[in-house]
Amino acid sequence: MANLETSLKECLSSIDGASAAALVDYTSGMALGTLGGGKEFNLEVAAAGNTDVVRAKLRTMELLGLKEEIEDILITLNSQYHMIRLLKGRGGNGLFLYLVLDASRANLAMARHQLRRIESELEV
Amino acid sequence: MTRVTTTWTTQGTTSAALGTLAAEGASGALSGERGIVYLSAGRVVHVESAFTPDLGALLTPSGAVPPDGWWDAVDRGGTQHRVGHRLVDSGRLAAGALEVCHLGALFDAAYFLLAHDTRAHRFRPGASHWLGAVRSVPVDAVVRETGRRRALLDRIWPDPAIDTAPLTRVPDARAAGLPVRRGRTLTQVDGVRTAAEIASALACRTYRTLVELRRLAAAGLVAPAPPAPAPSVPTADPAGGVWDDPDTALLRRLRDALEAL
Repeated sequence: MANLETSLKECLSSIDGASAAALVDYTSGMALGTLGGGKEFNLEVAAAGNTDVVRAKLRTMELLGLKEEIEDILITLNSQYHMIRLLKGRGGNGLFLYLVLDASRANLAMARHQLRRIESELEV
Repeated sequence: MTRVTTTWTTQGTTSAALGTLAAEGASGALSGERGIVYLSAGRVVHVESAFTPDLGALLTPSGAVPPDGWWDAVDRGGTQHRVGHRLVDSGRLAAGALEVCHLGALFDAAYFLLAHDTRAHRFRPGASHWLGAVRSVPVDAVVRETGRRRALLDRIWPDPAIDTAPLTRVPDARAAGLPVRRGRTLTQVDGVRTAAEIASALACRTYRTLVELRRLAAAGLVAPAPPAPAPSVPTADPAGGVWDDPDTALLRRLRDALEAL
């Protein structure tokens, strides 16, 4: 069965165009695990910053009185996609998977499909 | 592991003691005022504190692991320090899910040990936790994260008493109109329970509960209960490091056996 490290590795190996992945706790902004990235792309900074994105969206939904749950948030840059997928989990884990994709190679529907499979290994 | 038990009664904070042990690459258990940090080769492998629910209290009420399965793993794996492995090997929990929960519990407990500059009591070289190796984290990452969490909580409402004191609802405080999670947290505030007990009751991570409680305090809905004779959560080592740290697994089994009578 996959552990955290192999789950992140699977994100990069099985998803076309994926170059970096992180599992992030959005109550504190801490990355529980990161893979890929590097000097030019600091995943710790991305984890903390994208935590603000998730919190802002959750807060907006609260204000609107929406009872829905966020499945994912997609940010489209010129050459990259950044995908934020919130993990479910009965205890309310407060976690999201963050994935950086090369826009020219990625297939978003496939990426979502693969992520759904990978995240089921991390959910409690 | 050439050292004998070291007493830190006169030295600095738990974080300072941890820094020294990390530099030495030490393995063992460091007891502080609010819990115990377990180290392996200078890295943090587990932290437990009486102020946070442990892994079992997080996994069983949510139904992620049935209580029988949890205690079976503790019974069979406890003495070999392999409870985590047993949960995964028996197919009750995915390895990744265990790591995620374990890290959550580790950082939750570390917050109480390290964030408020409490003192270290003593270090037992070679002592390990019954959960066994799941994941390890560098000491400086744990210290940094606890500092960040404290800053985040203080920004919401700068009263650390919310974290540890029994909490009471301000008269007329109502859950209506609050976001679901905050409302649910408010309904658990009863003048007796502490943040840890509220987190346990909700089967929710302690840090998330602290965030909600500080928000409720900032909104003027919750306050620390007046220091009545209400018993607070006992500290992990009330005798100041004179006694051995209790074997938590054994104590839990004892409690369960007593409750079953």
